[in-house]
Amino acid sequence: MIVAVAYKWAGDAQDAVVRTDGTVDFTRAKAVVSDYDAVAIAVGRKAADALGAELVGICVGGPDAATPMATKSALSRGLDRVVVSAEPGLGGSGPTRTALALADLVKGLGDVAVVFAGDSSIDLGAKMVPAVLGGALGWPTLTDVAGIEVVGAQTRVVRTLGAGVQELKVALPAVLAVATDAAALKAPGMKDVMAAARKPVAKIEVTELGPEGDIVTTAPLDGPARRGIKIDCSDPVSAANQLIESLRADGVLTPAGGRR
Amino acid sequence: MTNTYILVPGSAPTGGLMPIAAQFGGTTTLVVIGDRSQAEAAAESGADRVVWFPTGSDEPAEAFASAVARLVASEPGPVLAGRDPASRVLLGAAAAALGAPVIVGAREVNAVADGYRVTAEVFGGIALRTTEVDGPVALLVDGGATVDGCPPAPVIEQPVVGLPIAQLSLQVDKGAVAHLGSAARVVAVGRGLRSQDDLSLVKELATALGAELGCTRPLAEGLDWLGRDRYIGISGQQIAPELYLALGISGQLQHIAGARRADVIVAVNTDEKAPIVAEADYLLVGDLYDVVPALTSAMGATP
Repeated sequence: MIVAVAYKWAGDAQDAVVRTDGTVDFTRAKAVVSDYDAVAIAVGRKAADALGAELVGICVGGPDAATPMATKSALSRGLDRVVVSAEPGLGGSGPTRTALALADLVKGLGDVAVVFAGDSSIDLGAKMVPAVLGGALGWPTLTDVAGIEVVGAQTRVVRTLGAGVQELKVALPAVLAVATDAAALKAPGMKDVMAAARKPVAKIEVTELGPEGDIVTTAPLDGPARRGIKIDCSDPVSAANQLIESLRADGVLTPAGGRR
Repeated sequence: MTNTYILVPGSAPTGGLMPIAAQFGGTTTLVVIGDRSQAEAAAESGADRVVWFPTGSDEPAEAFASAVARLVASEPGPVLAGRDPASRVLLGAAAAALGAPVIVGAREVNAVADGYRVTAEVFGGIALRTTEVDGPVALLVDGGATVDGCPPAPVIEQPVVGLPIAQLSLQVDKGAVAHLGSAARVVAVGRGLRSQDDLSLVKELATALGAELGCTRPLAEGLDWLGRDRYIGISGQQIAPELYLALGISGQLQHIAGARRADVIVAVNTDEKAPIVAEADYLLVGDLYDVVPALTSAMGATP
């Protein structure tokens, strides 16, 4: 039996820059296995141990996703092995193309009980890949998963919703996107990094790329024009009074909370 | 003729989705996964018809993803859904069944020769990207407000049996829920705050302003000082309050993309060169530890 974890080798959007033509420059964003994905691997490790299953990382991305630095980084988080599809057509691709390539990897693995994924990718943050992956496999899919417990053939999934904590029973196999706080993270130790170098990595060629729109134009999108009024803070009390006076004049401090 | 689907788990709002669906031309079908009253309410939102998947009390909308995908694939057309977790799961299943690219943050659709041209906000609204798609497309759109009062559309009931997911229990935790999305005023704090104990300073100001409390990602995820439902950014909450007060927040892209649609932005920051400066209507260059208590008492002193 296999527990799979879908992860991404990607740069953090926090370090991306929007160019004047509206394209987004990720060159300054160093690629990593994000904390979102590390949480998914940690939850996957626990589930795999409980099930007596093997924990396999699956990854699709551009050519750099198959570099030793990328695969070792994922393996040092506790995966048993990694299967990766890496080629230019998959670098920075949208949710559907990414998820369909992941679905092919899952099918190739065989006896998969659960695919875990992180809450979000750190580069695109669309939060759609687990949903399309579940759809492509025809498997039940849930997001915001805090943990799972396997009792015999039944799987209980706990998830955190805005309204509270929900416990569900889910038929396996399933795709589960984990909540950001589903597991505590610790940095991989020297032993983990050494072990990662000896774990197997398989590269799978993609036979057909999934659908993707063609980008025709991009444009920067400025937020609403801001006034940039500077209020002198040498005297905090008068600065505070001046600000509140201005905000009242703008009509955003009305007692009832304005338009809502 | 094109038929556009809007996926509606429970009482998810459709105000933002209906105008985008209309841009495809043709008819609009609402696919409601919920109880009878939710289906009937949706029927009054201006669509041409409603397909209703009735849910039992222990059946979450996600359990219907395959059924929704089969419905959409039986007569393919563009599919739209909102940003909530259940909408995403349903939209993903539909996109997989149609082989449709998913585009997040769509604002405008135009028909072209063999498909559509979709203009969408990327990274929560820092740039626009226009994409051409030569087949069906799945769009994630801001749900907007609830629409009602239109003449009721016909409701077609589609019961589903043998669902793969069932709810066992639900513990409602009302006290802890943040309502950032609908708050008129939001006070948010970043790494300028030195310790968790100092949150009380910020909370007092939020109370004085009648504001919800928000934060940047490190405070919610790295430091765990506030719940993750309170963090604002590309991958967190994306909000549009009347007033947004950014305290000790440098204003990195990841964060500011979540707050850019605020009417008025106030920044309190020690660094005059921080990115937040360009995004602010009012800028107070100073230490939040001096400015915040002064603001709280100024709010308390004036009616």
